[in-house]
Amino acid sequence: MNKKIQRSLAVVSAATLLFGVSAVSSAGAAQKTVYLAFQAPLTGANALTGQDELTAAKFALSEYNATNPSVKVELVIADDQGLAEVAAVVAPGIAANKKVIGLIGPAFSGATQASLPAYKATGLPMISMSATRVSLTDKKAPVNGFPIFKRVVANDKFQGPALARYAIKGVSSPSVYLVDDKTAYGKGLADYTKPSIVRDAKIAGSDSVPENTSDYTSVVAKVKASGANVVIYCGYAPDAAKFVKALRDGGYTGIFAAGDGVLKATFPNNAGNTAAEGARLTAADVPFEDVATAAQMVAYTKLTGISKPGTYVTSTYNATNIFLTCIKQGVTTRPGMQNCLTAGSFKGIAGDTIKFDRYGDIIGGAAVGAFTIKAGKIVYVAVA
Amino acid sequence: MNLQVLESQFWSLCLQGVALGFIYVLISLGYTMVYGVLRLINFANSEVFMVGTFATVVAQVGILQNQTDSQPLHGFKLIYTLLFALVFSMLICGFLGILVELVAYRRLRALGTNRLASLISAIAVSIVLLETTRIVTYSRPQTSPRLLDKWSFGEFAGANFRIDTVMVIVSGVTIFFFLDRFVTKTRLGKAIRAVSMSEEISKLMGINLNRVVSLTFFIGGLTTGAAAFFYTTVYETTQFNVGFNLGLAAFTTAVLGGIGNLRGAFYGGIFLGVLEQFASAILGSQWKSVTVFTVLVLVLLLKPNGIFGEAVQQTRT
Repeated sequence: MNKKIQRSLAVVSAATLLFGVSAVSSAGAAQKTVYLAFQAPLTGANALTGQDELTAAKFALSEYNATNPSVKVELVIADDQGLAEVAAVVAPGIAANKKVIGLIGPAFSGATQASLPAYKATGLPMISMSATRVSLTDKKAPVNGFPIFKRVVANDKFQGPALARYAIKGVSSPSVYLVDDKTAYGKGLADYTKPSIVRDAKIAGSDSVPENTSDYTSVVAKVKASGANVVIYCGYAPDAAKFVKALRDGGYTGIFAAGDGVLKATFPNNAGNTAAEGARLTAADVPFEDVATAAQMVAYTKLTGISKPGTYVTSTYNATNIFLTCIKQGVTTRPGMQNCLTAGSFKGIAGDTIKFDRYGDIIGGAAVGAFTIKAGKIVYVAVA
Repeated sequence: MNLQVLESQFWSLCLQGVALGFIYVLISLGYTMVYGVLRLINFANSEVFMVGTFATVVAQVGILQNQTDSQPLHGFKLIYTLLFALVFSMLICGFLGILVELVAYRRLRALGTNRLASLISAIAVSIVLLETTRIVTYSRPQTSPRLLDKWSFGEFAGANFRIDTVMVIVSGVTIFFFLDRFVTKTRLGKAIRAVSMSEEISKLMGINLNRVVSLTFFIGGLTTGAAAFFYTTVYETTQFNVGFNLGLAAFTTAVLGGIGNLRGAFYGGIFLGVLEQFASAILGSQWKSVTVFTVLVLVLLLKPNGIFGEAVQQTRT
């Protein structure tokens, strides 16, 4: 019932996006202003991901506007709750607003797929910071994002095998228990991880535990009964923290590994003092505090009130800056933005070069990084 | 289907199921007490639970100044900290329960509005609490420090009798025992039962209806607050949306046992906790909800008022 009401509210939000923004723009007609839209879950069960990403978009924008540019950029914020059915209602509202020349997002793959028809119909260029579903940039997929969709995150086709490789690295006779959280992201990543486990190790068992589960004791019982020495979790950080803590409290001493959904500075804290220690994590996203300058971190914390940035903050910052780079070059229309993104070459905050292929992935693939937890901190190890 | 897990983990699953069941029992008492008196589902109870989990963290970290990376406490300090957090969480939830009744129910009840209006206002309060907490906490999970060292009394037949598991079970039984005695033996408890049986006749007997309803919400809040404390102590984490799944499980517990019936909630909770553990272990966690709700439908087909609904009608709240 709760969700149904929220979904109905999304219809109202869609109307607000369309009419609300028009009203704002007429008031500021004297100065040239263009709009970028931001779409992610800002309320509901997945709000944490979207709220983290929003801080990055706002921060990039604050840096840009502080330079007193000739074209001012403002953000149109849309909440799709990470749900396809909500995104399908929200997206037409953004698409119909001609002042919006680019979209940062959507954050989730399911929501992206549901939003594509509206954006394709109106030619709105989009860069997702965290939608990793392979089909979105697969030219053979019945619904892909060509030509408007781009993303600055490695898709699961790359991350899955990298996660399997890293999880079993150095383990003699690896026996893997694979757990996903039943979400499109978790299940998708698990599906791309499994073939590599089958090839290089033994599958001890698998389970799909719905996200937001509180009690993992039955899964721990199964892991122990299976004799697994590696557990790979495909899901998000809050649940991973509960799961790894239950595993350690239950007496499991083997490897715990997880994908980019878990790479959050809050993960080791939430998992307790020792449970997350030594956990192996992969991600196409580098922790923001590792690549930002000290001054940027101070400014980020001052703006957002957050001292430990979450997942996809770096990728959202990059996605926003790519749009801003094009706007700096004089782009103020959707076709102009599309040309700029397709032909341009951009710099990421870590100094990397970002150039998109025809179907929207970064040429050469976004690197999948390997991380571990040492003394309660996420430490970058190498490319997985 | 994984039956192999039962060979080594059967009793472990039973024990964990019972412990989880007691958390469900305590939350479901909040639903069942209110239903017993008002014949309404208090949908805000799940968010009262969520607030209780945060109240526990506030008591431990904010008031008693334990750090999130604190070492476990021992002796008097441990008992004092745990008891303080328990009482704090119970009182916050108890008074929040009264507030929910005042805001979402009382005025509408006085106006004699449709029951649906109260239902919607309870959902509204629930959303307000949920989203306010989300905004205040920046949607981030909050960790409770490990103040209780999780030592074990020993392992029997594969079941690990850890201190937190035992504490939840013993405390759950104790709280339930006192609540049951309160409702059946005390003057106020009798007033609650009288209102439950007939609002009109209770008023004629001189019972202050508003006071009894407030008391019911307060007691429901107390047990929900206790559940929140035990949840936070066992799982050591909470989040703004923690109430949804647990609230749903507790509501299922209440319906399974016979909503409005205290003892029904007790057995319903334990049954549900154990059933969830075995369904997850044997069929896979993805089948847990399917199994639970299939069983719920089957039970309701055979006993429409829940397992204990009709049998102990006279003792319900």
